[in-house]
Amino acid sequence: MNWSRLSSSEFLKAMRPFVGLFLVLALFALDSELRTVFFKGSNFKTILTQTVIVAIGAMGMTLVIVSGGIDLCAGSVVALASVVAAKLIEYNYGFLTVTFGTIFVGAIVGLFNGGIITAFRMMPFIVTLGMMGIARGISKWLANNQTVNPKTPLDSVNQLMDNSQSPLTFFPLPDGVWFAIGLAVFMAILLRRSVFGRHVFAIGSNEDTARLCGIRVNLNKVLIYTLAGAFFGFAGVMQFSRLTQGDPSVAIGLELQIIAAVVIGGASLSGGAGSIPGSVIGAFMMASLANGSSIKDWPNYMQEIIIGIVIILAVGMDKLEPLLQRHLNKQKH
Amino acid sequence: MRSLLLGAIFTSLILISGCGPNSGESVEDGLKIVVIPKGTTHEFWKSIHAGAIKAKQELKAKGQSVEIIWKGPLKEDDRDEQIKVVENFISSGVDGMVLAPLDNKALVRPVETANNAKIPVVIIDSGLESDKYTSFVSTDNYAGGKMGGDYLGKLLAGKGNVLMLRYAVGSASTTNREQGFLDAIKEKYPDIKVLSSDQYAGATRELAYTVSQNLLSRYNTEVNGIFCPNESVTVSMTKALRDLGKAKGKVKVVGFDTSVQSLRDLEGGDVQGLVVQNPVRMGYLGVKTLVSHLAGDVVSKRIDTGVAMVTKANMLESEIQELINPPIEKYLGAGN
Amino acid sequence: MPLNKFSQHPRLRILNVSKRFGSTLALDGVSLEIDSGEVHALIGENGAGKSTLMKVLSGAHQLDKGSLELDGGLFTPSDPLYARNSGVAMIYQELNLAPDLSVEENVLLGREPGKLGWLNLKERRRLAKDALEEIGQPDLPLDVPVHSLTIAQQQLVEIARALVGQPRVLIMDEPTSSLTRVDAENLFGVIDHMSQRGVSVIYISHFLEECQRVASRFTVLRDGKSVGSGEMVGASLNEIIQMMVGREVSEIYPRTRRNIGKVVLEVSNLAGLAKPKDVDFKLCAGEIFGIFGLVGAGRTETIRTVFGLDRLAKGRVELFGKEDTNSSPIRRLAMRVGLLSENRKEEGLLLNRSLADNLTLTSFQSVSYFGLVNDALQITTSEKLISELEVKASSASQPVGELSGGNQQKIAIGRLLHHKAEILLMDEPTRGIDVGSKAHIYRLMNELAKEGKAVLFVSSYLPELLGVCDRISVMSRGVIVETRSVMEWSESEIIEAAVGFSNTEGVAA
Repeated sequence: MNWSRLSSSEFLKAMRPFVGLFLVLALFALDSELRTVFFKGSNFKTILTQTVIVAIGAMGMTLVIVSGGIDLCAGSVVALASVVAAKLIEYNYGFLTVTFGTIFVGAIVGLFNGGIITAFRMMPFIVTLGMMGIARGISKWLANNQTVNPKTPLDSVNQLMDNSQSPLTFFPLPDGVWFAIGLAVFMAILLRRSVFGRHVFAIGSNEDTARLCGIRVNLNKVLIYTLAGAFFGFAGVMQFSRLTQGDPSVAIGLELQIIAAVVIGGASLSGGAGSIPGSVIGAFMMASLANGSSIKDWPNYMQEIIIGIVIILAVGMDKLEPLLQRHLNKQKH
Repeated sequence: MRSLLLGAIFTSLILISGCGPNSGESVEDGLKIVVIPKGTTHEFWKSIHAGAIKAKQELKAKGQSVEIIWKGPLKEDDRDEQIKVVENFISSGVDGMVLAPLDNKALVRPVETANNAKIPVVIIDSGLESDKYTSFVSTDNYAGGKMGGDYLGKLLAGKGNVLMLRYAVGSASTTNREQGFLDAIKEKYPDIKVLSSDQYAGATRELAYTVSQNLLSRYNTEVNGIFCPNESVTVSMTKALRDLGKAKGKVKVVGFDTSVQSLRDLEGGDVQGLVVQNPVRMGYLGVKTLVSHLAGDVVSKRIDTGVAMVTKANMLESEIQELINPPIEKYLGAGN
Repeated sequence: MPLNKFSQHPRLRILNVSKRFGSTLALDGVSLEIDSGEVHALIGENGAGKSTLMKVLSGAHQLDKGSLELDGGLFTPSDPLYARNSGVAMIYQELNLAPDLSVEENVLLGREPGKLGWLNLKERRRLAKDALEEIGQPDLPLDVPVHSLTIAQQQLVEIARALVGQPRVLIMDEPTSSLTRVDAENLFGVIDHMSQRGVSVIYISHFLEECQRVASRFTVLRDGKSVGSGEMVGASLNEIIQMMVGREVSEIYPRTRRNIGKVVLEVSNLAGLAKPKDVDFKLCAGEIFGIFGLVGAGRTETIRTVFGLDRLAKGRVELFGKEDTNSSPIRRLAMRVGLLSENRKEEGLLLNRSLADNLTLTSFQSVSYFGLVNDALQITTSEKLISELEVKASSASQPVGELSGGNQQKIAIGRLLHHKAEILLMDEPTRGIDVGSKAHIYRLMNELAKEGKAVLFVSSYLPELLGVCDRISVMSRGVIVETRSVMEWSESEIIEAAVGFSNTEGVAA
């Protein structure tokens, strides 16, 4: 018997974010002004840099959403992490301590999320909604309600998202972009190929089946939220690097951008579907749209409307197709 | 089937893009200058926009063609969003930038990036902790704060207790006003006691109102005068005073900047004085300075756009009217 | 054709109806006639077109060709509401009740009496009471939420609801699939009663014995065509089966010589939190051991407790001669014990995941290197199982939810095979699947036992237990009341044992 590796519908589903991105780029290419300006290496560097924070957040969020959960505290954790990073730099710690310390704090928040969700069988939406307030509050408390500006900046961290030295060329890309690409590859393999990844899909697809089949559902969930927290923490390091300051009021609403990227990337909010490359492409697509709108001098409201339409279209495409198909069939008879 | 669907989406997107303003406009040969405010909805920023357009029109009359792009951060008061706007215009390649930085530190690197990309930046409104800009065109906020302090001291005849509610952390312009006020009181009115000067109102009016109420419930029996460093704080504080029956001059209020509400309060006697800036001039001089620099002229690193004290007595004078009712419509059209 | 007593037209006439979905012809010129008060059995394997025909009748689908007549008038159901208002009501296999609403509210759902949007509560109560009386169930409590009833009782609520609209034709799709024998018998009484009142019933079922019991005539569908029809009385089951599958089914229940080996699973005094209460049994290698019981007897709970899915309150479990009482699915699976869930859609399968993932879910390790799943190995391993089990699927990466019920079940069983389970706990393995798949699963169980594996077969369908098992235990009220070799049981003895002390047990449990 000769089996094709992917059925055609599944293949199309996997290609959906790429199709969306292609559409956006093709649309930009049609415009003479954008064609010359948008498709410059230096502009792509800018977009990539602007994608990093949402993309790293989306990697963690993809795990959570694929497992059938949601994490609303991503933005708050990014803010908390940016403050923690600033504080650690104020205490003159080095790059590794600052980075891993910050990631650790994010992971702790995730651990609490996962622990509460599994121990008390609570809805992830509620727990992380609560944690969204808690993390935001703690970050303001830690920062004494103001931005934290370390007196002696730590260049290695500041440079993560710095492309001020070569604004006119594609290379060199800032370190943060390379970190994000590396992480994306690692996470894509982890989610797609590893046994852990398959278990994440199984839990999101049907928790009861997962339990029946001997998957440690609770342990895996705690692990998933903790990992997601770690990713939000790392995104916070990047956020610090972008602002070169810890800002407790940064990234308000970032969780929604992250969730949008994941959903545009083909994930289902009911769990069991999604991919890392999709989510990263989703993040890149949103940054491209914002960049293009900016260059085109579309007013902000136009940009907000367009991104809204894209989200609905990206997700609605699957639902729209059978509807149209049925409609056409009806007309034939 | 799918391709058909994609085609439909594609066409609709193109249609949407076609609806966007300015997309029909051809790229002009002249200079392309982007003006980046902190936000786009506030009256103050519209005045700056009007000033920028005024400069454009003037330059055009002289045969110098300039395209002004007006682009604020997608989310107002979001530093990261403003950085994105700056970055996007660096990589899209404009001739120059006029920027009102949301943060005196966070915007340093984007401005340095622009500098490395050979794009000159004129800073307006608020300061930046860097010297990689062409010129800093703004109100001398410190002087404005001092003017407010002098006036409040005079109103209180050199005696009594005053409060100052700060605006927000990291906002350089208001910090300077606050410092100017405190210095004026300290230097000229040694008998006036500052009850509180360490509270922050925060970015939104709602928050400012809450903080004002809290502050007044603590000090309402002792306070004689209040200084507010910007428009939202002035309006919120006045409202809180009215709630307590302490308005109408029982507690003297000197505010900063104007809005429909704060002018009404001034007229009604709830506010005694408003220090006003000249945002139209700021936008105007921002663009003019940038264009001169691009033409190779030497420009001054610091340009003051001046402040004036508006009181109930002088508010109908034509000079003051120009400041408190800037001719926005003349430059931006009735739609704005 | 029996002459109609009341009019010259049959109640329902289906004439040459065709319906196409894409490239498949789901109905291909189907014709049949039903008189008033007639109970007509519609028989066919899954995919034969029964559901499509019913959906056409109930207005969920529109027919492409042909016509429908109701009492002589043209009947063109454009949507389910139209059909319902015309007097054609449908009771689906999956219950369509609002679980949190009361019995009364459910019975009158969508037909609430009242004026201007205000309910007439007295009238509602009266109508609900009448409807329950109509089906001979005046004792059903009206105020309890439906989810607190047994499945059988819920089904009665659904029938009562259908009767409120004074239907002329009632379509019942597999109404007994989740009922015990006693409840089913009860239901047949209700159907007889309705038929006497002149309601025509179209009765769809896999259980031929039931059709024989309840229907006066039958039509067999295969591949969208009607391949045979006639009077139920005098028709032989084997003939009907032959019509259904289009081939000779010499033996649905294969039984070859098996060598019964050592005891591999011994359960003593097992009790769960609610059920089971006190269960002892032994399972040997090379044996198929059946557990029969009414719904609510505690069969499912017993094997779930043994498997570690439900909490164990007391008792002792011995696996392969060693004590291993407290457990979890993880540990049981490690000991090569596998469980097939009775509920494949809600628990048994990851419906939106691939066949390959579903087959290898319990032991990804076997297709992985260093924690990474080897896709090629996973696919080839799965393909082998898929062809062994004769699963009809387009590829191993197809989502399992796209398959038919029988094929889904084969995948669920395939998972136990891939896991190389030595002890297979199978809960209702043939529920809701077609005869062909059933026969395949019986054959498979037989082969597994021959290979020396131990199979525990839980079912509420007596003929299959009698046909397949070596020994059968009967459970009632959370305890095993009797265990005998299959030779020593008769069907009626088993029912008696299951019903236990009182005849109402099945409904009340």
